[in-house]
Amino acid sequence: MADYTKFKLKKREELASALAEKDDLFVVACNKCFKELEGFDEPECGMFEEIAKEQGKRIVGCAKVDFLCNEPLTAKRLTGSLPEEAKNVFVISCGLGIQTVAKLAEMPVYAASDTKTADGHHGMALTDTLCEACGQCYLNLTGGICPIVDCSKSLLNGQCGGAKNGKCEVNKEMDCGWQLIYDRLKKQGRLEEMLSQPAQTRDYSKVNYKFISEYVNAAREKRYEGYYGGIHPSERKEMSEHLALKRFPEPLNVVIHMSQHAGAPAQPIVEVGQYVKVGQKIGEAQGAVSSPIHSSVSGTVLAVEPRLHPVQGTELTAVVIQSDGKNALHESVQPAGELDSLTPEEIVAIVREKGIVGMGGAGFPTAVKLKPSKPIEMVLLNGCECEPILTADHHVLLEYADDVIYGLKAIMKAAGAPKGVIAVEDNKPDAVELLRSKTAGMQDIEVVAVKTKYPQGAEKMLIKRVMGREVPPGGLPMDAGAIVSNVSTAKAIADAIRKGMPLIERVVCVSGERIARPGNFIIKNGTSVREIIEYCGGIKGEDATVKLGGPMMGFKVENLNVPVLKSTNGIIAVETISKEAAECIKCGRCMDVCPMELRPLYFTKYALQENWEGMKAQNVMNCIECGCCEYICSSKIPIVERIKLGKTAIRKGK
Amino acid sequence: MLITQLKSKEAIEALAKGKTVIINCHGCKEVYFPEHEAEKLQKELSADGGVARIITTDYICNPDNLKLQLKKHMDAVEGADAVLVFSCGVGVQTVAGMFESKRVYSCCDTYPLPGFQGVTPLTVNCAQCGECYLNYTGGICPITACSKSLVNGQCGGSKNGMCEVDKNMECGWERIYRKLEKLNRLDVLNCAPKLRKYGNPDAE
Repeated sequence: MADYTKFKLKKREELASALAEKDDLFVVACNKCFKELEGFDEPECGMFEEIAKEQGKRIVGCAKVDFLCNEPLTAKRLTGSLPEEAKNVFVISCGLGIQTVAKLAEMPVYAASDTKTADGHHGMALTDTLCEACGQCYLNLTGGICPIVDCSKSLLNGQCGGAKNGKCEVNKEMDCGWQLIYDRLKKQGRLEEMLSQPAQTRDYSKVNYKFISEYVNAAREKRYEGYYGGIHPSERKEMSEHLALKRFPEPLNVVIHMSQHAGAPAQPIVEVGQYVKVGQKIGEAQGAVSSPIHSSVSGTVLAVEPRLHPVQGTELTAVVIQSDGKNALHESVQPAGELDSLTPEEIVAIVREKGIVGMGGAGFPTAVKLKPSKPIEMVLLNGCECEPILTADHHVLLEYADDVIYGLKAIMKAAGAPKGVIAVEDNKPDAVELLRSKTAGMQDIEVVAVKTKYPQGAEKMLIKRVMGREVPPGGLPMDAGAIVSNVSTAKAIADAIRKGMPLIERVVCVSGERIARPGNFIIKNGTSVREIIEYCGGIKGEDATVKLGGPMMGFKVENLNVPVLKSTNGIIAVETISKEAAECIKCGRCMDVCPMELRPLYFTKYALQENWEGMKAQNVMNCIECGCCEYICSSKIPIVERIKLGKTAIRKGK
Repeated sequence: MLITQLKSKEAIEALAKGKTVIINCHGCKEVYFPEHEAEKLQKELSADGGVARIITTDYICNPDNLKLQLKKHMDAVEGADAVLVFSCGVGVQTVAGMFESKRVYSCCDTYPLPGFQGVTPLTVNCAQCGECYLNYTGGICPITACSKSLVNGQCGGSKNGMCEVDKNMECGWERIYRKLEKLNRLDVLNCAPKLRKYGNPDAE
């Protein structure tokens, strides 16, 4: 890869005069961007130290930082790391990094390097300088060859006449740009068009400080909204957001997995041939972190056998039931009474007994969350649905607002929380308005409309956004005094208390540009994904990828003969994205978007080297696998896959 | 890292003659890309049936990636009379270079963006002048913080600390003075006048 270093150490003499009368130096060096990702050491740092030592200076410390110009992360990195005896800071980086440090440090900051213009920093591919960013693109007149860049005189109205044998008179190594333009247009039969073009003038005032700073400020504001990092993928929710919620037709058979939650799988308690009813328990929870499983249909048990699990990808125990279509209710399905008359312990018991787990994707048994060992100040209902395409939670909010609020009150009572917040992204204004009108008289419940940014729905981000607090690394929401629960889960809790109905069905969004007829459905647990997709008109086109969940974090399924789980919020078919991983060019984008403020670029490197210690040192275990880094990666590296490798190895104690 | 702005609707409509293929690049969308405006405009262009395909992908400035992403759309591109590219100037030229005999058009104007790290543009600027002055100015760049890029002190035209060129902008030299005062380094202002070498070969 070419050298794109944008700075070089100042000359020895200049450094000597800059160093005069200054001592007790702290050196900050930028690890450079746009380079092959090799290691931490850069020669310039050693060179500077050598020159400083020649001058008899004492260096009290030094810090090498990635992307020094990344202000929020540099601030965190440098705060408190400057030793007390440091009197002067010398920075080796481009002007952006120097100014970032100058702004942060309380002591004099000096530049040890000069900044150069590096070719090709426009665009990501770092090949040649192709675009001057003049703000008035001429490419339409010139067959896609830029006259500003490719003509050394930046002429806009044809050749100067000085070219010889097609070579420029200013630089004999360079092709005449206007000759290239002429040849290309001739090839396209557009010479007449070019010759009849009126004369062009370049407006140099178009690119100005004011115009650009307005854009910069707007872009910056959007980036740092609520929490560091994050991305704004195209929402694509219009495919299903206005489609009314419908009940999916009764399935003939259901395959109900015993493992639909985090923790130990349930133990089947029914036998082949047995008749079961809707809401009847068919699997018993095993241990504290587990959850019982209930039948979603009435009918006969056909089999208790291993079946392909949609998320785990292996065959796991499932109960197969043939529905008789009668939907006969089990006698255990009885209302539990008024919320006011239930004790917190009773609510937790109902939540556990009715098999309620987190319905946002992770499937963590909710009853465990409701008995926190730390005081809870706030229950946060997560109605962000920040994944593109999905509109399941949106419809839950619209159709079951009262149930969601009831469920929130139940969680607040169970956990002894004084305040409840329903957080909804501002791309669902109808849901925000409805919830606000429904909660108008409630002092302890607030509806917060948060600016849309992925991964807002990750609990750590949501806590930061709403409460302004950080969950400590390796910690849980309760460490920040919060319980975060999905809105669908709250609705399921309401059903469990009011009707006595266990978690046997849920709202699933079936969508994506490769689904013929998208929709939002109430679907019974265990219904086949294949049947659902067929009901929705099947898959359009050859190049489709089917995922359970959203496009960012959903699980890819190759075999559609898998059932819907308690945590399946979406079934999507999207265009397959072809990718070929290239070398990391250290563009820094992954670090810029990582909401956990990690440095994913090191994971990509360390995973290949099987350097698990390095991954641990880079805090890989804090990664929430939201996929922002992989989404933005200009080298198309499968970063999440490599992160998972590292996490697995570290968990195994390697 | 560039700002892309849509060209006028009339200009783009005039380019969409005959069978048209549209290519959107979302690679730098987190920096700035007029996604919704472009989508709206493309819907209007599609209304009369001339648009054969709309392709949305990313990082088309990388020729290898562009090739890979266009693989399944080659028939559409080959059969098109015009290819409309919504990206920065680098992307347009990469597409134009791949299809030399095609009419490849740019639908955006491209502006430079200060700061080349990540996707977050910076409020501070660096003009990459090749002869860093920050050591004399308390770490505030006189080239970018002063609208006249003066390197030897204020012009005298500022009023109440605001620049005479842009009244919404603070006088850069006043900021520098205050910073040096805070650092107790006002003596730095006694140093010899500096000349900016515009021909500095390091800056190129």
